[in-house]
Amino acid sequence: MNNNVVVGLLGPTLDRGDEADRWNFWRPTVSICQHEQMLVDRFDLLYEKKFRKLAQTVTEDIRSVSPETQVCHHEINFRDAWDFDDVYSGLYDFAAEYTFDTDHEDYLIHITTGTHVAQICLFLLTESRHLPGRLLQTSPPRRKSHGPVGEYRIIDLDLSRYDKIHQRFTLEQRESQDFLKSGIATRNEAFNQMIEQIEHVAIHSHDPILLTGPTGAGKSQLARRIYDLKKIRRQVGGSFVEVNCGTLRGDTAMSTLFGHKRGAFTGAMADRKGLLAEADQGLLFLDEVGELGLDEQTMLLRAVEEKAFLPVGADREVHSDFQLICGTNRNLSADVATGRFREDLLARINLWSFDLPGLSKRREDIEPNVAYELDQLAGRIGKRVRFNKEAAERFIKFATAPDAAWSANFRDLNAAISRMATMSPAGRITVEVVDQEITRLQRAWAPRLSSDDRRLNALLQPQQIDELDLFDRVQLVQVLAICRRCKSMSEAGRQLFAASRKLRKSTNDADRLRKYLARFKLSWSDIER
Amino acid sequence: MLNIDGSQGEGGGQVLRSALSLSMVTGQGFRIARIRAGRKKPGLMRQHLTAVGAATALCGATVSGDAIGSTELTFSPGKVEAGEHTFSVGTAGSTTLVLQTVLPALLTAGAPSRLTLEGGTHNPFAPPFDFLAKTFLPLVNRMGPRVEATLERAGFYPAGGGRFTVEVTPAAQLSGIELLERGEIMRRSVRGIVSNLPRGIAERELKAVRKKLSWPDECFEVVELRDGHGPGNVVMIEIESEQVCEVFTGFGEVNRPAEAVANHATQQAQRYLRCGAPVGEYLADQLLLPLALAGAGAFETVRLSRHTRTHIDLIGRFCDVSIQTDDHGRDGATVRLG
Repeated sequence: MNNNVVVGLLGPTLDRGDEADRWNFWRPTVSICQHEQMLVDRFDLLYEKKFRKLAQTVTEDIRSVSPETQVCHHEINFRDAWDFDDVYSGLYDFAAEYTFDTDHEDYLIHITTGTHVAQICLFLLTESRHLPGRLLQTSPPRRKSHGPVGEYRIIDLDLSRYDKIHQRFTLEQRESQDFLKSGIATRNEAFNQMIEQIEHVAIHSHDPILLTGPTGAGKSQLARRIYDLKKIRRQVGGSFVEVNCGTLRGDTAMSTLFGHKRGAFTGAMADRKGLLAEADQGLLFLDEVGELGLDEQTMLLRAVEEKAFLPVGADREVHSDFQLICGTNRNLSADVATGRFREDLLARINLWSFDLPGLSKRREDIEPNVAYELDQLAGRIGKRVRFNKEAAERFIKFATAPDAAWSANFRDLNAAISRMATMSPAGRITVEVVDQEITRLQRAWAPRLSSDDRRLNALLQPQQIDELDLFDRVQLVQVLAICRRCKSMSEAGRQLFAASRKLRKSTNDADRLRKYLARFKLSWSDIER
Repeated sequence: MLNIDGSQGEGGGQVLRSALSLSMVTGQGFRIARIRAGRKKPGLMRQHLTAVGAATALCGATVSGDAIGSTELTFSPGKVEAGEHTFSVGTAGSTTLVLQTVLPALLTAGAPSRLTLEGGTHNPFAPPFDFLAKTFLPLVNRMGPRVEATLERAGFYPAGGGRFTVEVTPAAQLSGIELLERGEIMRRSVRGIVSNLPRGIAERELKAVRKKLSWPDECFEVVELRDGHGPGNVVMIEIESEQVCEVFTGFGEVNRPAEAVANHATQQAQRYLRCGAPVGEYLADQLLLPLALAGAGAFETVRLSRHTRTHIDLIGRFCDVSIQTDDHGRDGATVRLG
């Protein structure tokens, strides 16, 4: 069992007394060593020089009531025991010079003695773990007949140790997490765990956060939610400033972000504040941060590190203290490798990095999100739109099937719900409306038409294309591309069957190609055209 | 290793102290569990640890569970080391209780001992030094050894700061004694002691005692102590008969009238005088252990308390001795060992 060590200030008032009758009064410092349920192995007694005699008396009295206790004296001098700066510095220095052995000793910081200022300082130093212990509060006996010893309480500032407080925190935490999820009861465990972490970081840190993930995964929405949460918790006072760095091009990028002085360049008719300055005391969300130019990256790094930057054309720095959240769907590490992104800036902004999964990786969350989108829509158009039961089942079945790509993620879902609502003037989304939407989505998610695909469209009937397996289509597109580059069917055949040509005696490549094309009702002349 | 239930008896501490004494004398280790079970704050308190610490220092025992709040303790005694020992005791763990814990082992040790005890000597929760010196030790001396206690300075609760020494010349073997008759009362005295307190307090106490006991003037004495550490007040009534000297005590406390303190002591003395048995309730408890070690003896006591019954059970666990009790109700009880 660890030794008990009490650290406490001598109380010039409460601990006083040199006559024998002092024993009739409650003296907090001595009383600590009189409790039957607590053994103090060492008492580190802090006192001012002018109270040295009292310290001596108290020490002798402790020896008498508790010979087990070793009393160590620490002289500490305040110019003014009611001056916060003075007392805090004094106690801070004591803590800094003290060797704490928390593996073998449990520290109790006695806060009943000393000025109120000293009590506040001891509390602060304990809370900040400069004094790695628990608070010890003593109080006089409730009745005089109870003797002079009184009572003591040990207060652990680790609030998670208190059931009732812990319950409140848990509730508050859950509310904050719900808030970050916009109240959507998401079911995806990985996502929920990530939100838990983001909630913790958002509440406890002012450091930059990097949100990665595909477009439409909800980075921008989440950044705003983090801001709103911090605002509710009174951790930010300024505004939410958001910009997509992809839209910042050329000369205006600098001045948009950092501002400019009037006359800094042609067209600079008036001072411009710039987004970083606007975000002072607030939150700046830089979406698509990977699109930022190298010059802007340099300025941004300095702004994040120094909380200061130089507007275009200005000769004085502007100060702005903001929480930074960056979003990107690029692989910034790869951009660092190719020199597109500054390594030091990346290191600075991805201190906390969270990867938002696309909707297709959170299929179990689609249903609650559909409900959320319908709610949002009702708020926007002032009319409630609902699915028919069968329609809802069909849409969810389609939406959660493994081949639903959701390539634009929440943007797709949002658009789908909007479209279906528009197609349902009576406020009921029917199976027919769902089926139309499914077709629309499937078309949108079909592999993007390349020039080769367009060529395929030119050669084949739409119905023919629809009947093709992807397996055949991919092959056919490549075959046709080669054919286009060759002057004759024989040349194309030689290229396409080059490997088997070496092994086989038969070399009739043109014929093989003709047979292949015929399967798709194509001839060489179709291609040549 | 003996298993002892620490929740039995009233004191909790008494069972532990007695077990420590018996263990050191018999060499038999023990495990005590459920220490003070069912109390508001269960487990060992500082005064218990003090006793454990003193016993450990005396015989180099192997101990586990000796921490505040611990509800289980094991104690395996080593060889008792007679000689010089100093025990510093905080005020809550009275020095007299520590002496009672370690003394039995020294009574038959191979060599003499000299003990110095520092701390509280007059503590409301323990027998005062005067009970040791005048009541208990003379009886122990009749059993063979020679034990002499000298008070250097009284230490009252809560300040403590008292000090006394004890010289022990052991005997090879304790011999039993019989205390069946009180005999003639040879001497009576009432002392009101004040330490760093007004003399008037003691005077009021003596006045209150005299009202009830109507003893002659020369029996009453006020003692003023000035060398003590803190304030203290005790009123002690001594009744010395042919066989034994009994001491009854009342402790002064803040907010407790002097008359109430006096009455507490007076009532005990009156009860003792009425009954006629030589051994008071508290002494009965204390005599059991040395008599059990002697293997023989008998006494007549005022009352068999629960404490005493618990103690008899505990002694039976360690020693091969039969203890018979014959309860006469209001007329006291006879206890016979052997």
